[in-house]
Amino acid sequence: MQSDILISLRGVDKSYAIHSGSFTALRGVTLDIARGEFIGVVGQSGSGKSTLLNLLSGIDRASAGEVFVDGVALHAMREREIARWRGRSVGIVFQFFQLLPTLTAIENVMLPMDLCARWRARDREDRARALLDRLGVADQAFKLPATLSGGQQQRVAIARALANEPAVLLADEPTGNLDSHNAANILELFAELAQQGQTIVAATHDAGVHRVCTRTVTIADGQITEQVASYA
Amino acid sequence: MVLAIVVGLAGAGTVLDAWSLLHRVTRDEYLATNPASATLRVDSVDASLLDSARAIPSVRDVEARRTVLAGVRVQGAWDTGLLYASNDLGNRRIGVLAPQEGQWPPADGAFVIERSSVTFAGAAVGDSVLVRIGKGAEVRLPVTGIVRDQGLAPGWMDHVVYGFVTPATLAKLGAPSSLNELRITVRDRSLDRAAIRRVANDVRALAVRLGHEVPSVDVPVPGRHVHAAQMDSLLMIMGAFGVLALCMSGFLVVNLVTAMLTGQLREIGVMKALGARPGQLAALYLAFALALGVVASAIAIPLAAYAGRAYASFAATMLNFDVDGHAIPRFALVLQLLAGLLLPVLAAAVPVVRGSNVSVATLLRDTGIGGVTAPWIQRIRGTQRPLLFSLRNAFRRRWRTALTLVTLASGGAAFLGALDLRASIRDSVGSLFDNVLRFDMAVRLDSPHDADSIADVTSRVPGVEIAEEWGSVRATQAGAGEQGAPFAISVIPAHERLVTAPIARGRWMGDGDAAEIVVNTRMLEEQPELAVGTSVDLAIGGRISRWAVVGSVESAIPQPTAFVTRGALERVAGDARATTVLIRASNRDPDARYALAGRVRDALEAAGFAVGSSELSQVNRRAIEDHLLMVGAFLLAMAQLTIVVGALALGATMSLAVQERTREIGVLRAIGATPGAIVTMVQVEGLLIGVLSWLIAIPLSLPVSALLARAFGKIMLPVTPTLIPGRFAVAVWLAVVVIASLVACAWPALRATRIPTVSAIAYE
Repeated sequence: MQSDILISLRGVDKSYAIHSGSFTALRGVTLDIARGEFIGVVGQSGSGKSTLLNLLSGIDRASAGEVFVDGVALHAMREREIARWRGRSVGIVFQFFQLLPTLTAIENVMLPMDLCARWRARDREDRARALLDRLGVADQAFKLPATLSGGQQQRVAIARALANEPAVLLADEPTGNLDSHNAANILELFAELAQQGQTIVAATHDAGVHRVCTRTVTIADGQITEQVASYA
Repeated sequence: MVLAIVVGLAGAGTVLDAWSLLHRVTRDEYLATNPASATLRVDSVDASLLDSARAIPSVRDVEARRTVLAGVRVQGAWDTGLLYASNDLGNRRIGVLAPQEGQWPPADGAFVIERSSVTFAGAAVGDSVLVRIGKGAEVRLPVTGIVRDQGLAPGWMDHVVYGFVTPATLAKLGAPSSLNELRITVRDRSLDRAAIRRVANDVRALAVRLGHEVPSVDVPVPGRHVHAAQMDSLLMIMGAFGVLALCMSGFLVVNLVTAMLTGQLREIGVMKALGARPGQLAALYLAFALALGVVASAIAIPLAAYAGRAYASFAATMLNFDVDGHAIPRFALVLQLLAGLLLPVLAAAVPVVRGSNVSVATLLRDTGIGGVTAPWIQRIRGTQRPLLFSLRNAFRRRWRTALTLVTLASGGAAFLGALDLRASIRDSVGSLFDNVLRFDMAVRLDSPHDADSIADVTSRVPGVEIAEEWGSVRATQAGAGEQGAPFAISVIPAHERLVTAPIARGRWMGDGDAAEIVVNTRMLEEQPELAVGTSVDLAIGGRISRWAVVGSVESAIPQPTAFVTRGALERVAGDARATTVLIRASNRDPDARYALAGRVRDALEAAGFAVGSSELSQVNRRAIEDHLLMVGAFLLAMAQLTIVVGALALGATMSLAVQERTREIGVLRAIGATPGAIVTMVQVEGLLIGVLSWLIAIPLSLPVSALLARAFGKIMLPVTPTLIPGRFAVAVWLAVVVIASLVACAWPALRATRIPTVSAIAYE
């Protein structure tokens, strides 16, 4: 494996047991993603986009094949190890933001740092402030999520995902719950982060992703059907 | 969920069943014995008196008996025995006896023991007991049977061996074989105490006309067992625990059903989107809640009946009753069924109505993460986020947390109250024997003797520091030509030093021979006419004299008592002989006191004073402590039951919290929380609620302590609650609550780690 390849999937299958037998969500997926790439994963609902992201984050395990992220063989790791690895190596952005409602914005950003202890306790608040500032929501730091707009919540959620300086940022429909203006802003933000060297994989229905990502990967019926470099 | 409702209902049902069963048994069983309406002591009862008394229209029945104080050898020492003799014990109609084992009625020369004395006497059917009356010979009587007399206080508790014998056996023991008690029942059972007293006085007048002497007439409160006050207090305590347990189980059910429905808001939304009307939805969920109640009641009610009966049986033994053959009253079962069916439905009503009225869009938009905590909790900062998260989550569902806190804190208050009562019992018994009853032994003589003659003997026994000669007489308030309820008066030396009860009001008696009397507070409760500052006419030994009530003392014992000086009684009644010697030893070593008791007995016997029994205070103290602490332990067991219900409520609350926060837990896992971190967060949240309930329970225990002490004082021994829980009790309660919280939250915490992250964060 070359050193600039951050993510590598080799012949990955993912099947689920269902009442009527089994359902194959991904079939023979092979994909390499280099450091600093911003990959847009597109496809219809149920095509396997979210499953792909879950395999990359270690939230789900492949039924067959190999998954390497930043040199780590996820398919061979134990659940407990994966949780710790995920906290340090992967940042996740959800469609519905999923900020914890009883913690303020800055506390939400500091939470992954507390869980993984990658940063010294006395440095965590400064780092959280810096991240919120970088994402343009520093003035919302001490507000509860319920008092923020959708766009602001998603920015805080991205700040939280970046808290432990992860090797890869995974975003599942990050604009799915935002209006077009905020959606465009979030995609621009991802592009900026990618330009700063952050590897990003975003599963989305948003047609605008073509304009900002470095490569678009299309999935249909669990298979990669097309890969297009869309940004030089 | 059904299991949680079952435990809550069964806990409350156990107490309710036990309470109602005891209430029925103590009332019905006592009345079934046809207790005497009045007892007249006469010089001797003959056939003519019996027939004439029976002929009085207001008298239903009359029987004769003799009660003799005896000494019974128990485990090497002479203890108090009460022998009841009558001519036809087998056909006793008043105060009916229930044969339990062996022969009944007793043959001449045989001894049938009362059930509650068996353990104390250490004698069973086939054994024998050594009995002595006065200066009579020690006679070994075979124990041929066991009988139960529900009108008697338990022998093991009062340290008395009750025995039933024939008049011929009395004669063998050297006592008169004639009978001297006339026990009557009245024809009209609805009569009150004053009306019965009038009937009894008619019988008394008849006896006097026939040439008999009638020293006393005793009219107890109709239909009330001699220990009715104790029973009422015990039942009141149990009833209070029952109400507490019912409320706690109610809270538990409300928590469970509310949470269940909250978790189904999305389903409600889908059904509304499909056209379900609010009424249909409400009926659906209320029917489901009712079904839960039916299943839970079907399990809980039989379970409670079993446990309640066992519990009632134990409590009844303490009062010499038996629950066998009695059914649990129907109202108790109906009440449990109603509670079991209605509680889930009522609990479901609020969330069902709320859910039914929320718009479909809102219900479907639910992302699984929502709700904020109390503002004051939100302001707490400056700690690790996982701890903040646990802290704030604990107050996210404030109503539910409040109910859980109330439930757990109530159990804690009951627990602390029971522990406080136990400490108060130890303190009060210690104080009773160290400060009030300051003698080391009491030696009872078989018959009254001149106090100075006794003093001559005891003062010469080596090792006696102080000896006081006490006597006892019975008195009744005299008025309007009738006799009132008799009470005991202790006749004490003028310079009495061995019993020092604290003065409640007024003063102690003077050193002279003025007719002054001091009563204890319990006496004032029973005979309020003896108020401090008043003068009363008392009939003592057939003579009426006027006494000034100069003071009252705190009751060290639950029995009503009054005190007069020997000089005063001698001047007024002409006879103030002593029957008991109280002795304080110069060497307080237990073995030395035991040896001294033997020397005093021997010296008195050698001087011609027949000794009935001798009691060492150290033995009495241990026995009293054991019996009282058993009651304390009994209450503690009930408190522990309430803690179990409380812990269950906490476990249910945390379980539901985990269920509601499935998605949050998934998110936490997704951002790097290890299973250990998730377990810690759930456990810390539960622990916070537990520790808070610990704090709330401390002030809440104060009224509980006061209530328990008050009820206990009526049952057993007046105790002063310490009110401020001791450090040990508070530490024990903290340990209990920490362990209960950890155990209660163990399953929810484990469940939280088993939630698959992928499904927790999935939207569909």
